[in-house]
Amino acid sequence: MRKFTLLLAALLTPVLACAAPSAKLILPSFSTMQQKASESVVITLDPALLGLAGRFLDGNDPQDAATKEVLKGLQGIYVRSYTFDKDFAYQQADLDAVRNQLSAPGWNRLMETRSRKSRADVDIYIMIDNNQAVGLALIASEPRQFTIVNIVGAIDLDKLHKLEGQFGVPKLDLDQSRSPAAASPTPHK
Amino acid sequence: MSNDLESQLKAALRPVAPRQEFSEKLLAQVVLGNPRTKVRRLAPARLPLAWWLSASLAASVLLGFGVHEHLQERRMQQSGLEARREVLEALRVTSQKLQLAYEAVKSQSAPLPDEKTGA
Repeated sequence: MRKFTLLLAALLTPVLACAAPSAKLILPSFSTMQQKASESVVITLDPALLGLAGRFLDGNDPQDAATKEVLKGLQGIYVRSYTFDKDFAYQQADLDAVRNQLSAPGWNRLMETRSRKSRADVDIYIMIDNNQAVGLALIASEPRQFTIVNIVGAIDLDKLHKLEGQFGVPKLDLDQSRSPAAASPTPHK
Repeated sequence: MSNDLESQLKAALRPVAPRQEFSEKLLAQVVLGNPRTKVRRLAPARLPLAWWLSASLAASVLLGFGVHEHLQERRMQQSGLEARREVLEALRVTSQKLQLAYEAVKSQSAPLPDEKTGA
């Protein structure tokens, strides 16, 4: 009986792992875009690198200390940002491959902003599991720049709130008493 | 004639006690060592070649290990500082885009002029 249980668990584990939604997006290489861009920022921080970075953050420095707090529980930070010399040198289709992933179950659109003034569109998605944010995705498209940010792990919105003032993070007026589920996101079915 | 010669020889070769200075000089030379006297001294035992080779090998291994550890530590430090820089850059980019969203929300939620005047 015990052997049967172990065998069943061994068989079901990969199935269950595949069934659980992943907060990590599959980001294209954007190689064509990189060639056209005048500036590019490509950051890939997996759990090992995040742990290593955490060891080199100075706890006595307020900015480093706040960063350390944010890093706790994170499994990865992925950034792709490309700046061009001409307006809309990139195609929206390039971003569609990423947007399509955000329509998968588990992702909730937290915010969608369209600015005529700056001609910038910013979409923020969040993945919630057991009433806790476990992933964040941000897609910002401006005339001469587009940026994709994917943060994987236990995102503490309270700690993000405390980052206000550091790195120029704006006051988002996040209500600390509200749970992420009550932030009226738009769920994708 | 032979008796005379014999007696002369006996007189010339009679044993004579050495002077006090002679005895002291001799003892001093024995203790200090006369540089003019070549004294054979026992040479120290020569270490075999195999010992020297083993010692050189061990020293090389230790030195190589130490250099490797030092380089490893240096690489780790460089990687850590680079990772720290990337984390700060990632958060800076994230905050910039959040600011963009915030400004869009702020401009949309700003009251219209008609609302201000109550018209």
